[in-house]
Amino acid sequence: MLRNIDKVSGIDKISTRSRMNDATFITLSMLGVLIVLLGLACLFVPNFYLGQNIINLVTNYWFVIVLGIGVTFLLITGNFDMSVSGIVAMSGVLSVYFCQAAHVSQSELANGLGLPYWAAIVLALTASLIIGAINAFFITKLKVASIIVTLGTMSIARGIAHIVTHGAQRNTSLPDVFKVIGNITVIGSIKLSVIIMIIFVIIAVIIEKRTVFGRRTYLIGANIEAARLSGVKVGQHLTILYLISSLLAGITGILLASEYVSGTSNRAMGSEFDALVIVLLGGTSIAGGFGSVSGTVIGALILAVVTSSATGLLLRPEWQFILKGIVTFLAIMAQRFALDRRNI
Amino acid sequence: MGINENISKQVRKSGTNSWKATLKGSYVFILLIIVVVILSLVKMDSGGIFGRGHFLNWDGSIVNLLRSAVPILTLSGGFTLLMISGNIDLSVGSALSLSAVIYSLMILNGFGLFFSFIITMILGIVLGFVNGLLVMKLRITPVIATLVTLNLYKGIARLIVPPGISAIKSSTIKTMPAWINNYARKDLIAGLPVAFFVAIVIIAILVIIQRKTILGKYSVAIGGNRLAAELSGINAVKIGWILYIMVGLLAALAGIARASYMSIGDPLTGDGMELDCIIAVLLGGTAFSGGEGSVIKTIAGALIIMCITTGLMTVIPPYWQMFTKGTVLVLAVTLNSLLVREKVLE
Repeated sequence: MLRNIDKVSGIDKISTRSRMNDATFITLSMLGVLIVLLGLACLFVPNFYLGQNIINLVTNYWFVIVLGIGVTFLLITGNFDMSVSGIVAMSGVLSVYFCQAAHVSQSELANGLGLPYWAAIVLALTASLIIGAINAFFITKLKVASIIVTLGTMSIARGIAHIVTHGAQRNTSLPDVFKVIGNITVIGSIKLSVIIMIIFVIIAVIIEKRTVFGRRTYLIGANIEAARLSGVKVGQHLTILYLISSLLAGITGILLASEYVSGTSNRAMGSEFDALVIVLLGGTSIAGGFGSVSGTVIGALILAVVTSSATGLLLRPEWQFILKGIVTFLAIMAQRFALDRRNI
Repeated sequence: MGINENISKQVRKSGTNSWKATLKGSYVFILLIIVVVILSLVKMDSGGIFGRGHFLNWDGSIVNLLRSAVPILTLSGGFTLLMISGNIDLSVGSALSLSAVIYSLMILNGFGLFFSFIITMILGIVLGFVNGLLVMKLRITPVIATLVTLNLYKGIARLIVPPGISAIKSSTIKTMPAWINNYARKDLIAGLPVAFFVAIVIIAILVIIQRKTILGKYSVAIGGNRLAAELSGINAVKIGWILYIMVGLLAALAGIARASYMSIGDPLTGDGMELDCIIAVLLGGTAFSGGEGSVIKTIAGALIIMCITTGLMTVIPPYWQMFTKGTVLVLAVTLNSLLVREKVLE
């Protein structure tokens, strides 16, 4: 792993050369890939070029992009967060459970706690933050590998969703206000969730490019020892990043639960891999110290084009797994090849 | 002078703390005993100890547990060696599912036991080879590379099963031969099937590999410090590749056992197997970063998981299972980091 750092990220090269830096180079080349794929899809996939279809590409993927923001920052520091998909399910289910009316039905799944909706949201987000805090504690204090802990907390979070819904879903005796935020449309037919996603992306790009916090994130990923010696509080920094990631996942879960007016224990199954895939497609390096949120958005669009072309070509849904695997592999190899050629 | 003092201090320290070290070294076995004792107390109400319905009843409970434990017993030993060498394979669950699907598909279509066995094992070798190719040759981080193949194998396993049905099983056109069960269900000795004894033989071989062979020693060296190992002439790429192929082969064997046990080829059957293996390995005290570990302790860890999952299944509803597994994993991580890391520091 160590051997790859200088090759993939080219950290030492960025500072010494005045031309376009590697991050911009990779982002632009992935944008090129996106345009080529989009062109191919429009040529070969029936009805792909329709305006509504292109808009759907973005709007159907909003929640993966939101999850991808937190995962991008963490991967830049060299850490994984696989717990996001579990948190989405948990916060959605909890937001339903807390505001379902109490004592209304014989069926156990129809009875909740009868809290007001705002309280349900606050509590669901608190639960999400607790999962994030567990992640942070194990990774910063006990120095456990992040992939292991977050796989464990993913099981715990989704396990809580399973317990609350008895492995199924809760969708009855909800107040009317519950379905508003997930289904309200703002401009034309664009959902509020998509606007929220765009706002999050803009904030994330500003944090990444323009703040000390953002630059420290890169420093930690590039050289954790140097970061520590130059006074960065690495533990505190990672803790904040894990809390942000779990908060974003919690918000996503609440929005999705509102959109479908149900809390389902299997919601967003496997989206931890989707989030990781779009981050990798966007050029973020596994070795850390390298990557960008704008790249992640492009990665999400690439994945959206690929998967919806598969659907458009009437392939069986099982192909999604294979396509995601192949696309990720190709992205990693292509980026390494491009950087190797560039930095000779 | 300073060094001498340090050494003598360490010698003295290890002398006085030897019982503590023994305790730490064998905590997984102690944990296994504790789990078994607790489970046998919990289920005391129905009949006496060793009686029917009791956790320690041989024919009813223990045989069942060992039969359903065959896949993880087959797999987790090899997984340990891989993790000792500082690598990981998250695709084992998907490889297991794919092997189970292929094996039962062949049996369903009238191929013989021997031929199906060989083909499935070759498939396992290929799957492991691909993992090794990505990690060792193309130098993709193990976690990412095997996440890619996890999805790849999972997709293939699900695509092989025809649309509209959930698994490879008997239909109106073809019936699954009843002898598919023989390997993992039929009583050979003391109620245990052939597959169980195959798993025992594999474990024995792996223990020997770990303790007595160059492959075992080199795995430890690579996991401890890959650069140093390579500089001293160890071919880390080759060793890692062999280990990946071995894990692929064992995953195929585990898949055969699972297909034979359920007598269907379910493409979802291996989902989550990688978590079980990681829990077993961590409970067994293998450091996640590699460099040390023990096959036999992992097996004890695997038995702990099986005791907890099958033992709890009769007490709590099935939808608690995921939460339980996650909690056990986090506890295993905690134990591992508290006990193992301290040992490393000493």
